[in-house]
Formats: sequence, C-alpha cells, structure tokens
Amino acid sequence: MLLEVSHLSKSFGNFTAVEDLSFSVNEGEVYGFLGQNGAGKSTTIRMILSLIKPTAGSINIFGLSIEKNREKILQKTGAVVEKPDLYKYLTAYENMKLFSKLSGMTLGRQELMRQLAVVGLEKRANDKVGVYSQGMKQRLGIAVALVHNPSLIILDEPTNGLDPQGIADIRNLILMLSKEQNKTFLVSSHLLSEIEQIADSMVIIDKGKKIVEGKVSELLNPGKVQMEIITLDNISAKQIIASSVWADGLKYSTSEKILVETEKSAVPNLTRFLIENGVELISLRSANTLEAYFLSLTSEHAV
Amino acid sequence: MQFNRIVYIELYKIFRKPRTYIAFWAVAAIVGLIQLGFYADGESYMKFGMQSLSDSFDIKGRILNGYLMAYIILQTLLVHVPLLIALVSGDMISGEASLGTLRLLLTKPVSRTMLIFGKFTASSIYTLSLLIWMAIWALGISILVFGADDMLILKSELVTQIVSIDIMWRYVAAFAFASIAMIAVASLSFFLSLFAENSIGPIMATMSIIIVFTILNTLDLPIFNQLKPFLFTSHMLGWKGFFDVQVNANNEQIVGSIENLPAVLISAGILVLHIIGFLWASIIVFKRKDILT
Repeated sequence: MLLEVSHLSKSFGNFTAVEDLSFSVNEGEVYGFLGQNGAGKSTTIRMILSLIKPTAGSINIFGLSIEKNREKILQKTGAVVEKPDLYKYLTAYENMKLFSKLSGMTLGRQELMRQLAVVGLEKRANDKVGVYSQGMKQRLGIAVALVHNPSLIILDEPTNGLDPQGIADIRNLILMLSKEQNKTFLVSSHLLSEIEQIADSMVIIDKGKKIVEGKVSELLNPGKVQMEIITLDNISAKQIIASSVWADGLKYSTSEKILVETEKSAVPNLTRFLIENGVELISLRSANTLEAYFLSLTSEHAV
Repeated sequence: MQFNRIVYIELYKIFRKPRTYIAFWAVAAIVGLIQLGFYADGESYMKFGMQSLSDSFDIKGRILNGYLMAYIILQTLLVHVPLLIALVSGDMISGEASLGTLRLLLTKPVSRTMLIFGKFTASSIYTLSLLIWMAIWALGISILVFGADDMLILKSELVTQIVSIDIMWRYVAAFAFASIAMIAVASLSFFLSLFAENSIGPIMATMSIIIVFTILNTLDLPIFNQLKPFLFTSHMLGWKGFFDVQVNANNEQIVGSIENLPAVLISAGILVLHIIGFLWASIIVFKRKDILT
C-alpha cells in the first residue's frame, strides 16, 4: 500500500470539513477521489501533503507517517493542489528551473526542456506564465509536479477550467505516465465520467464522509448505464415503469426526472416501451454523472 | 545546501519582480534631487545656516562638501526607507499566498523553518543591497560632485568638526548600523506578511507601527518615557552616534573617538534582539500555519 489514510478528520471551528475518512491507494494505480464541490477533497489532499494539520487520524505514505517524515515523503511526491498557480512574472523554463532546484535537483536546460516537451510546452518555454492560457498553466503545473521524478502524483481537479481538448490531453498524460512509468496517481474530481476513464479504483466522499470505495469496474458496472428520463408527467411515467419489467432498474424519481439503470444494449427497448405505453417523452439520455451515481446509491430513500 | 538553494531561489524571484526596482529608482531620484538642489542653491543655503557662526569664527574650506551632503541625505532619507524595505519584505509570504504559490512551495521537500530562514535572509540581502545603493549615491556621488573636506555638523548647542581623514570609517559604521535598523524593519514586515494574503496589509501595518512608535518617541510623557527604550524606532537613528566625537582639553577632536560608544552598541543590540524576536516568532507561526490559500 503506497498511501493509507486512516480515520482522518478536520474541523474548522464548528464546521467539520472531513470526518473519519479512510481509504488506501496501491502502488502503480490511478486512484480517483470523487466528490461534489465542497465535499472535502481539497482539504483531504492538503492534509495528505501536510499543508494543513488533521484534527484526528493518520496518513502514511511509502510506509511513513507524513507528520514525522514530511520532507522524505515529499521528495517522492509531486502535487498540483487546486489551481496550478505559478510565478507569472517568470517564464515556464524559469519556473521549472526554480522548482527543480527547490526539490534538490540540478537539471540542465536540455533535461528541463525535455520535461516541458512531455506536457507539450517546449515551444512556449520562454514565454512568461502570465500570458499562458488555463490549459497551459495546468500542463505546466503538472510538469512542475513531475520535475523531481516523484513516484506518487497527487492532482486536485486537474481538468478544472479546461476545454475538451485540454481535458483529453491531461487524461492521456496521466494514462501514459501510469502505464509507461508506473507512477501512482491520486486524482480528485467532481466528474464521475472523468474518473471512470482513467482510474483503477476510487473513493467517493460527500460532506467529508466516505460514501463508497472500491474498484471502478466493480462500482460502476460498465455494462450498465443510468438513463435520465424527463416526461410531461413524471408521476404517471414512474407508475408505468414501476409496474413493468423495468421496475428493478428504477433508482430514483421526482416530479422533475426519473433515473433508470439498465443494460446498455436494452436502451432501445426502454425507449420503445415508454413510447408504446403513451409516455410523453421530453428527453431520454445517459446520465453517468456523479450526481446520478449518488442518487442511485441512495435510491431506496428516493424512489 | 538546502538553505543556500532557498536563498538563491528567493533572490532570483526578488530581482525578477519589477516592484523590487521601485526602491532603487526612488533612492536614486530622491538623492539626485537633493544633490541637484544643493548644487544650485547650496552655497546661499549654507551661508544662511552658518550666519551666526561666521560672526564668531573665521571659517575656511568647503563647508558644503560630499561628507556633509551624505549626512544631510541620510538624515532625511532613512526615515522613509522603511517603506521601500517593506515593499519587498512585506511581500515575502503574503505575496506567495496571494499568487497561490505558497502551497506549491510547501509541496516540495523543504522544511518550513528553512524556508523562513531562506526567505528572511533573501529579504535581508535585498535590504543590504538597497543600503549599499544608497551609500553609493549619498556618499560616492556626493564626494564626486561636491568634493571632500572636513565636516561640520550643526547641533542645537554646539558645532562638531570632524577632520576629513577621520570620516570615512564613520560612514562605514553608520551604514552598518543603518543596515541593522533596516533589517529590523524588514523582520517586522516579514513577520506581518505571515498573516496577510496580499502585500498591502503588511506594508501599511509596518508603516503604521513605525509612525505610531515615532510619535510616542516625541511625546515627553512619563508613561511613554518608560516604554521608549524598548521601541525599535527609538534606536533606528543610532547611527548618528558615530558622528559624535570626543574632544581633548584644548577642545580639539580626538581622531577615531566616539562620544558614547556604549549607547550606540546598546541601540544596535536592541535592534538585533528585535530581529531575533521577529524571526523566531515568524518560524513559530509559520510552522503551525494551515495553508488554506
């Protein structure tokens, strides 16, 4: 086990940001850390990196306690916490040079340029970071996190504010580093679809507490899909579904929408069933979102 | 090794920031203006100032010379330099917090104590470089423009004459003392920068503290008089002590003498204690600080 978080809690006055949180990350895996905005992901990551002190609990990385071995652990850990803020008045190359020096490395220009090339910034290496786009800053942030060749890389919402191409670039970079260099990643996100595409395992937290942890393939059941149904009369539609063969898949229903889990191959049949039974459809779409997943986890209270 | 690396990095950042050069331009501009003013009207100004003395003494030589100019400039400028010092030292931590780079710095394998030491050392080096720059302008350029001669310093009740061969070491000592005083200011604004998320707060707070303490120094009230010896602002102008000379029985200056060396040393000691105190407090606060920015 490379990273082990045990019964971690953090309170700010009367507000509890993280409560009795435990999870573990194995060597070489990409581990998804999921939660809605404000769920306590960044606070947890800051505790893992010793930026803030936990109120209770322990964190062990590489078998060592972060409290007592901070520098030793950080020597083998790279991180981007929230926004990738860098020195705007310096160039990308200068930022890389300073942070490599700070990490105790003496890297020449050639090596630093090679590292910038990994994130596709070698041609903009001499531009000041102040003129960079959000996506370029994000990539440079990752390059800075990787500059001392860490084994564990912690990325907090790495695709925030990126366009679809930027998101794909970051995703490919994580997968490449994980597969080719056997790096271990802890990646936080509020988007289930993102984690689903890159992570081997994941934990989902809400209001600072763990909801579920496990292998992505087991938790998300790749053969199945959550379908979000919106009709002119959701109450009647729900009754129709509940009294049919689709009842087992009915996860959630309100006056605004209905959530039905089904095999991907059965989606055309579901559509046909609804139309043939007079349900006036407004929309029917795949809803593999964290919100939908949360709703499905707590379905017995909602249906 | 880690310490050297941090100092190098911090100095690199300081001298790549445009705001760093505001202080250097300001010093050059103010000193240049004073020199220009004295170059144009200095003789008549000095005649007016020395009128009462001219009636009693026969004064020969160049009264308005480079040494006197440096003294006038230092007296005028050292009151305002703290603002220029705080521009950089007040930004050392708060600037990182406002940029968001503080959390990135602390995800790297450096100890928090070492980071504070390194940052403080870098801001002290900046302070020293500003004072050297000031010395070049105030003393070096003044000697080039106005020449060198014996120095006459007018005080409320007496006139001190210091022979030219006995002046330069006094300036070296005065600038060394001024460096300690300005590093004390830097350590205060550095400490205050731990509590802010932009540099305006620490800069304003530093200047406010200096203004309030300076006002307390001027008020001759028993309650404040007890407090004055402990205020660092009471000792900031201690450099002037190097220009108070001892005289022999014939009222002639004793070369190499200082009238009240213990007082100068005590002032320097109190300033050093302030530096140690602020630095120690900075380390304690920073080690316990949650990085939330």
